[in-house]
Amino acid sequence: MLKIKNIDAFFEKIQVLRRVSLHIEAGEIVSLIGANGAGKTTLLNVISGLHPSRNGSRVFLDVETRGLKPEKIVALGILQVPETEKVFNPLTVLENLELGAYLRSQDRGQLMEEMEQVYQLFPILRDRKDQLAGTLSGGERQMLALGKALMGQPKLLMLDEPSLGLAPTVVSEIFRIIQSLNERGITILLVEQNAKEALRICRRAYVLDTGRILLTGTGEELLNNEEVKRAFLGKDYKGKWER
Amino acid sequence: MPIFNPDVETRERKELLEFQNERLQIVVNQAYSHVDFYRKKFDEARVNPDDIKNLEDLKRIPFTTRKDLMDNYPYGMFAVPLRDVVRLQFPMGLYGNPIVIGYTRQDLKIWRELVARIMVGIGITEHDIIQVAFNYGLFFGAIRFNQSAELIGAAVVPTSIASAEVQLRIMQDFRSTVLASTPSFALHIIETMKRKRIDPQTLSLKIGLLGAEPWSESVRQVIEENLNIKAYDIYGVMELVEPGVAGECSARAGLHIFEDHFFAEVIDPRTGQALSAGREGELVLTTLTTNAYPLLRYRTSDVTALHYDRCSCGRTMVRMDRVIKRTDQMVSVRGINVFPEKIEEVLAGIDGVGPGYSMEVTEKKGLNDRLKVLVEASPEILAAKEEKKIALQEAVHLALRRAIGLRVEVEIVAKDRVLGVGWRG
Repeated sequence: MLKIKNIDAFFEKIQVLRRVSLHIEAGEIVSLIGANGAGKTTLLNVISGLHPSRNGSRVFLDVETRGLKPEKIVALGILQVPETEKVFNPLTVLENLELGAYLRSQDRGQLMEEMEQVYQLFPILRDRKDQLAGTLSGGERQMLALGKALMGQPKLLMLDEPSLGLAPTVVSEIFRIIQSLNERGITILLVEQNAKEALRICRRAYVLDTGRILLTGTGEELLNNEEVKRAFLGKDYKGKWER
Repeated sequence: MPIFNPDVETRERKELLEFQNERLQIVVNQAYSHVDFYRKKFDEARVNPDDIKNLEDLKRIPFTTRKDLMDNYPYGMFAVPLRDVVRLQFPMGLYGNPIVIGYTRQDLKIWRELVARIMVGIGITEHDIIQVAFNYGLFFGAIRFNQSAELIGAAVVPTSIASAEVQLRIMQDFRSTVLASTPSFALHIIETMKRKRIDPQTLSLKIGLLGAEPWSESVRQVIEENLNIKAYDIYGVMELVEPGVAGECSARAGLHIFEDHFFAEVIDPRTGQALSAGREGELVLTTLTTNAYPLLRYRTSDVTALHYDRCSCGRTMVRMDRVIKRTDQMVSVRGINVFPEKIEEVLAGIDGVGPGYSMEVTEKKGLNDRLKVLVEASPEILAAKEEKKIALQEAVHLALRRAIGLRVEVEIVAKDRVLGVGWRG
């Protein structure tokens, strides 16, 4: 579905992505894990067209997306739920959801139907539909962000730290929802600092380290990988001889 | 014949190459950041890992040789700390520094699947009984047959180094359907059958899974006719994984290399230049998934050619010709690798013998069977009493046996009977 090959990206003169290559197949959940500053969010922004990339190629459903404006990339079916500022706080829940469908044909009947589906997935949003998004709790805001993205009918949904700052019970709810979205046929690229959960629900994952892909494998393989355990579950070692 | 992992084994080559490309970059990143040897090697060759963007760029990376593995003994080539290693393997018979190969749990899981792919590809199923007559002590690959057979649910009988008579008795009583052994041991079993007048019809054997030494098509014919089986070749590299790098399929049109785990090249061993498909040269392998012991462009010393056209079995993975020749002087005796350099090393440690010697591998039907070493001795020793000569002969014999793990015939001779210092052949 998405094939990225040899992407470089820079902030001014500092290189933040180094010939990153990865692929996502239709129907997969692929997780991207890595320490702070590894380049995860930049990679998502590159895929969305929000951050320029140099060299390489980014082919989505056989279309080269390099040089395309972000709105064109959204129209192709790639939607990103950013880590922060994911909803429009001064607007109501309903208005946020309507905005999610902004780029699509405005068949009112169809929109209502889709909104109904979003409400079924997130009943809390129906209760709060006239409330301003800024007054929602963190978990509700994340659900609204997901609902808003769904209104855009994504083929590939990219989620940036969806569990960040949420209470543990809400976190597991969010991961359940991500899985159910995937079961409905949406391909998902998940960036997470909660590596354990991200690896548990994904099919495959990549580990990004200072701008380079350092490891890949199935979620299960990486969960059992000692290097991942050390890097993300707080274990460290001193040298080769350590047992 | 069924295919164990059809998604992978029959993947379109274009997709396979993209997959290899992605993996190659990751293994280069790992090698550069985790293995000092590779970091140094890249820096010396002025290659930046970020320059390796596709499989073509791989050619810029210098080769890795067996000497590199020896020089970095024991753990210098490891990409993971020892804590992550669950098996350490130590091939016998090498000269100079030994080498040690580490495997993580994940590595072993991968290799287990590869031999299972070969087994399934030649028709072995959960109904089969596999008699493994490899030497478990000296040939580490033997244990892989157990693990892979268990993965597909077949039963294993590790008969190991039991005599041919015992092997035959077990074959009859247990109704073994598959024989895994060296081709020379299969020939030995055939001879024993003839001597003991055992009718092949009393055996249930269907398949032979043979390897660990070179064997010709004529040997294959002899084995198939006398044991009433189909015999298949299996290939491995002791410094990577043995067996499990490649194996024949039912089409027997070469051995499929498992390209999702290894990238294969063939080079001219003199110039190091890559050779095009179909041309014979030295096989060079790059591991794409190995965690503990990644090797970039490892020179295997095995001579073969690669064929990329699709196989009639449906697999898309490249096929290599069966390996009959090597670029070094290593010989394989009953599945055990013997390097002439090792013999020199042993002789150098014994007073009164060497440095001249001749190695003679007594062949049986084109197969290496027994190793005889003629050793140069000083005139004083040759003039000495018979007991003294026999004692020295015995000392050399013991030293060689300890070093190589094989019984070696030794004869002490005058200088003119050996073909010169370090003559190898």
